[in-house]
Amino acid sequence: MATIELIDLTKYFRGVKAVDGVSLTVREGTLFGFLGPNGAGKTTTLKMMAGVLKPTRGRILIGEKDIAREPGAVKHKLAFIPDHPFVYEKLTAAEFLHFMADLYALETGPPLESEIERLLALFHLDGWKNDLVEGYSHGMKQRLVLCAALLHRPEVLIVDEPMVGLDPSGSRLVKDIFKEEAARGTTVFMSTHSLEVAEEVCDEIAIIQAGKIRAQGSPDDLKAEAGVDGNLESIFLRFTERNPNSHDVLHSSET
Amino acid sequence: MFFILLKPKITGFRNQVFRADGKHGKRALVLGILGSCFLAVIFLLSCRILLSFQSVELIGDFLAHKMLNMVLLTLFSLLVFSHIISGLSNLYLSNDLEFCYATPASVQELFAARAVHTVLDSSWMLLVFGLPVFMAYAYVYRPGISFYVSLIHLNLAMIFIAAGIGILVIMALVSIFPANRTRDIVVLLSLLMGVVLYVVFRVLRPERLMNPDAFFSVTEYLSTLRGTDSPYLPTQWISEALWSTLGHHAPKSLLFNSALAWSTAGALTVFSIWSAGSLYFDGFSKSREAKKKRGEKRILMRAVDRFLPLIFGRETAAIMLKDIRAFFRDNTQWSQLLLLGALVVVYLYNFTALPLDKSPIRLDFLQNELAFLNMGLAGFVVSAVSARFVFPAISGEGYAYWIIQSSPLPLQRLLRAKYLFFLLPMVILAESLVVLTNVLLEVSPFIMVLSVSTMLLLVPGIVALGVGLGARYPDFRSENVAKAATGFGGLVFMIISALFVAAVIVLEAGPVYILFSAQVNGVKISPFTWFFVFCSFFLALVISGFVTGKSLKMGRRALENYE
Repeated sequence: MATIELIDLTKYFRGVKAVDGVSLTVREGTLFGFLGPNGAGKTTTLKMMAGVLKPTRGRILIGEKDIAREPGAVKHKLAFIPDHPFVYEKLTAAEFLHFMADLYALETGPPLESEIERLLALFHLDGWKNDLVEGYSHGMKQRLVLCAALLHRPEVLIVDEPMVGLDPSGSRLVKDIFKEEAARGTTVFMSTHSLEVAEEVCDEIAIIQAGKIRAQGSPDDLKAEAGVDGNLESIFLRFTERNPNSHDVLHSSET
Repeated sequence: MFFILLKPKITGFRNQVFRADGKHGKRALVLGILGSCFLAVIFLLSCRILLSFQSVELIGDFLAHKMLNMVLLTLFSLLVFSHIISGLSNLYLSNDLEFCYATPASVQELFAARAVHTVLDSSWMLLVFGLPVFMAYAYVYRPGISFYVSLIHLNLAMIFIAAGIGILVIMALVSIFPANRTRDIVVLLSLLMGVVLYVVFRVLRPERLMNPDAFFSVTEYLSTLRGTDSPYLPTQWISEALWSTLGHHAPKSLLFNSALAWSTAGALTVFSIWSAGSLYFDGFSKSREAKKKRGEKRILMRAVDRFLPLIFGRETAAIMLKDIRAFFRDNTQWSQLLLLGALVVVYLYNFTALPLDKSPIRLDFLQNELAFLNMGLAGFVVSAVSARFVFPAISGEGYAYWIIQSSPLPLQRLLRAKYLFFLLPMVILAESLVVLTNVLLEVSPFIMVLSVSTMLLLVPGIVALGVGLGARYPDFRSENVAKAATGFGGLVFMIISALFVAAVIVLEAGPVYILFSAQVNGVKISPFTWFFVFCSFFLALVISGFVTGKSLKMGRRALENYE
C-alpha cells in the first residue's frame, strides 16, 4: 500500500495563487479528511494529486513515486472520484466498467466479470447494468463512478465531496466502504464540506484556507491546537476565521 | 419580470464582450476579418449577378425581382428551421430552465423571454447572408431612404413570422414527443430535408437560369422562373414591398404588402403566446422525463468487440469501441452520415454533368487534367468532413475527460485511438471520390494510380491535423460536440488543412505535367527530369509524414498542458 506526500505543492491560475505551498504526508491506510471553505483550494489540490492538473511548483509522491515523472505507474495505484460524476452517457454501466478495466489493463476473464457483478450489486446498480448511463440519476452516476474507482483495487483513493447527491443509505454505504478500504491498507484522501462526515470517519484532518494548510492532525489534536471544546464545527470555524491578510481564492476548477 | 428574465443573457453578452482577455480579443479580430471578407464576397457576387441581369434586355428587372423572391424564400426557410432548432434548446433543454420555472414568473413571461432568446440566436444569419445581397440591390438600383426603412421593418416582420411558425412547430412536437426524442426527430427530419433539397437543387441546376439559351423556349424559361411565386407566402409580400421601394411600383403595393406582413407577424406572436399558456409548461414537464434506454449488443458489434483489441491493442481498442458505441447510439451523430452520402452522390453527379465535349481542349488531356484537379477537390472535401467529425473527436470526451486524465492511459494512445478510428473511413471516402470520378472521366491508368496514392498521402495528414488541432483547441464543456468545429480552432484547422492539400497538389503538378506531356507526345524523359520528378514526389511524401507526426505530437503536448 502507499503513502501520500505533498511537497511545497503550489498552483497558480492566471496569476492567482490557488494552492500555496501545501506540504503534508498521509500514512498508508489512513482515512484523511481535507476540509476547507468554498474556494479554499481543495479541488485543485485533489486534481493535481490525481494527475488531472499540473502543479505550478512542488511534488506529489504516491508510494514514493513522483506522479510527474512516472504518471502511468502512479495512476495504476490511484483512483479519483470527482465531485461531479461525469461519465460517458452513451455507454451502459457494464460497458463503462469494462472500459475502465481496459484502461487499467485488468486481467480479463471470469474473475473480472464476477468483480464487476459484485461491485454493481454492492452499489445497487445490478438491475441497471445494461441501461445507458444517460438515463441514470445523479446519485446513480455517483455510485457508478465509485464502482469504477474500486474496480482496479487502488492503493490510494482520492475523493472529492463523495456524499454529494447520495441518499442516506448510499451515504452510509460509502462511509462503510471507505472505512473498510482504509482498514485494508488503502489510503483514502477525501475532501468534504460535511464536518459530520469528517468527524465520523476520518483518522486525520487537514484544514486548508486560501490555498494554505492552516492545521493538520487527528480531531483530538486539532481540538487541542484550536483551544476549543466541542465538535469539529467550532474547530473549523476557529481555523478558518477570516484572516485580514488573506483572501478567498476562486477559480475555474473549484466548483 | 419579462425584462428581468432577459437580463442574464444581456449581461452575459456584455461581460463576454467587455471582459474578453487578449486571447479572446485576437480570436474575435480574426473571425471578424474573415467574416467581413465573407460578406464582401457575397456582396460582390450579388452585384455581379444583378449587373449581368441588367444587361439582359426586357427581362433584366424581372430576373432581379425573381432573384429577390428566391433569396427571401431561402432566408425565410433557414429562419424557420433555425427557430425550430434553437427554440428546442432555448425553450425546453437549457440547463437554467428549472431555475427559471421555480421563480414567480408566469409561464407566458418565461415563454416570451425564451422566445426572445430564440429570436436573437436564430436571426443573426439574416444579417450575415441577407445583408450583403440587399446591399447589392441598393448599390445597383440606388433606391431612396424608403428602401432602407422598409428593409429594416420588413426583415423584422419576416423574423417574427419565422419565429412564430418555428416556435409553434416545436411546441406542437414537444407536446407529442418528449423533448429528447424531439431533438432526434428534428435532427433526422432536417437532415433528410437537407439531403433532398441539396440533391434536388443540384439536379435542377439553377445556374441554367443565367443562360436562357439552354431552354427550349422563352415560355419554358419564364414558367421555370415563376416556380417560387405564391400570393400566400410571406416572402412574396416582403419581396413585393421591397421591390416597390426599389422604384418600380406604386407605394400602394408597399403599404398593402407591409400590412399583410405585419398583421401576420402580430397574429402569430399573439397566437404563440396564447398557445404557450396551455402547451409550454406541459411540454417542459415532459422534457424532464428521462426514458430508459437499453444498450443493445448487435452481432456486428460483438465481432468488432472481439477483433479490435487483437489488431490495435487493448487500450487503443477500448477508446475506439467506446467511440463507436457513442457514435451509433447518438442519433444526432450517425444521422449525419446521410448528409455525407448525399454529398458523395452530388459530387459524382456534378462530374457526369460536365459538358466536356463542348470544350475546345483535347478530350483526353482535359479528362486527365480534371482528374488531377479533382484530387485537390477531394482533399478539400475530406478536410471539410474532417472538420465536422475528426476535429471534435477529442472535445467529444466532454466532461468525462477526467476519466482519461486520471487513468494510466498515455495521452499519445488516446490520440492514436482517435486517429485510427477516423483514418479508415476517411481513406474510404477519399478513395471513393477519386476512383469513382476517375472511372466516370475515363482517365489513364497513370492518373488513376497517382490519384489513389495522393489520397493515401493526403488523408493521414488531414486526419492527424484534425486530431492534433482538435486537441490543441479542445472544448470539453460544449453540449453539442459539433460546435467545436465552428470555433476558432475549426477555422485554423480548415486553413492549415487547405494549405497542406494545396502544397501536395502543387508539388505534384510539375512532375505530372512532365510525365503526362511526355506520354502524350511520345518524348523520352531525361535522367535530370526523372530526378526532379522523384524529388517532387518525395517532398510530398516528406510533407505528409511531417504534418502527420507533428500534428499528433502537438496534440499530445497540448493535452498534457491542458487545464
